[in-house]
Amino acid sequence: MRHTETDLRRFLTEHSQARDHGEPPAHLDAIVRRGRRIRRTRRMLTAGATLACAVAAVGLANSLLIGPQAIPSVAAQPPVDSAEVVEPGPKPPEEFQVVLGATKFAMPLLDSQRFDTMGAAQTVTFTPASHDTGFKVVCDDPEAWVVLQQRLKNGEQGGSSGRCKDGVGGHGDEKSVPSDWLEGPQSMKVWVFPADAPVEEVVKDTVACPKGMKECAEHIVTWGLSQPKVLERLSEEIGERPGRWAVGIYDRPVK
Amino acid sequence: MNDGFAEYVAQRHLRLCRMAYLLTRDWGTAEDVVQTALAKAWLAWRRIEGNPDPYVYRIIVNTHASWWRRRWRGEVPAESIPEAADPRDSAAEVDDQDAMWSAIGALSPRQRAVIVLHYFEGRTLTQVADIVGCSLGAVKSQLNRALTRLRVDPDIQCMNLEEVQR
Repeated sequence: MRHTETDLRRFLTEHSQARDHGEPPAHLDAIVRRGRRIRRTRRMLTAGATLACAVAAVGLANSLLIGPQAIPSVAAQPPVDSAEVVEPGPKPPEEFQVVLGATKFAMPLLDSQRFDTMGAAQTVTFTPASHDTGFKVVCDDPEAWVVLQQRLKNGEQGGSSGRCKDGVGGHGDEKSVPSDWLEGPQSMKVWVFPADAPVEEVVKDTVACPKGMKECAEHIVTWGLSQPKVLERLSEEIGERPGRWAVGIYDRPVK
Repeated sequence: MNDGFAEYVAQRHLRLCRMAYLLTRDWGTAEDVVQTALAKAWLAWRRIEGNPDPYVYRIIVNTHASWWRRRWRGEVPAESIPEAADPRDSAAEVDDQDAMWSAIGALSPRQRAVIVLHYFEGRTLTQVADIVGCSLGAVKSQLNRALTRLRVDPDIQCMNLEEVQR
């Protein structure tokens, strides 16, 4: 006998019934109580966000009216007491070094975003301040695989991929970024896969190595990793797993 | 209470728990997920038009996925069960069931959701796509890969081999 879809249906039905211990009571009161609790939490969060915006707006107005020296810096102070200390995870460096032939310069951190899971594509949105925008991904696990993709000039896709420790990232300039780069928020996609993700196997299965090659060379695996079919298959096989990483967005300092 | 919510809970609670159990693989967690899903549905009850099932399924699937991410402790699904039973054992049928259960547990949360919604809840693939929030093509792809994985699972291959030998 081969397992058919009917077998699967029957298995699921039987298994779902066999493992329950009688009919579980549907506590309507408990459901409604939990619903009210969720509503209270949502309202508190909304109120908190509104208050934070208001405080920020008042703070900004005050600093504009009075000047920065007159106001003690409250926001910069660490919390007096904290019930739970959560490690912040990897932090992108404060500067991104660019070397273009003889030209060297450093770009400061414009924005950074942190993530707690690997395996699924993440869209990172940011508002560039100039055409010279740089990106760098940092991970808790330096051996994690990273793919970064963004839109380039003339609608082409570009990006980079490799092990996180190799400093996956890059930077654009006026010749490479889309013409509407400074007209509003831009986005890029980032995938981070665990170090033990079956990257080579999936690359071999999906986009293949050159004929006659027993093993894919590292640079071919790295290239294959950025192919849509490989990314899709890896995401599906791995699912979403915990794993912290962050992406830093850098931009040329305003002159 | 209000516009049939109590009746819906009374009628659907057990079925929802069974569906959630197939996703979570733990009866206590399943009941917890369902209670959370119904609490969220209660908040939105007046805005739900038509059959509430897809809405509630979506919350269950999303809640399970987010809890799975939060509670993951580094367990990696094994390719095969250690000390597998002899296929000629008289308890082979029980082993078959365990092998299938183990293989389903090795699927990613989304693949498992697609399998459970389609084969247990009898939802069409279009409805499944709507519930899990992705395209029909993506659901078909997930389903095919999940079925392939279930069929090529080493334990299930043993089971098939034994069937042939009989």
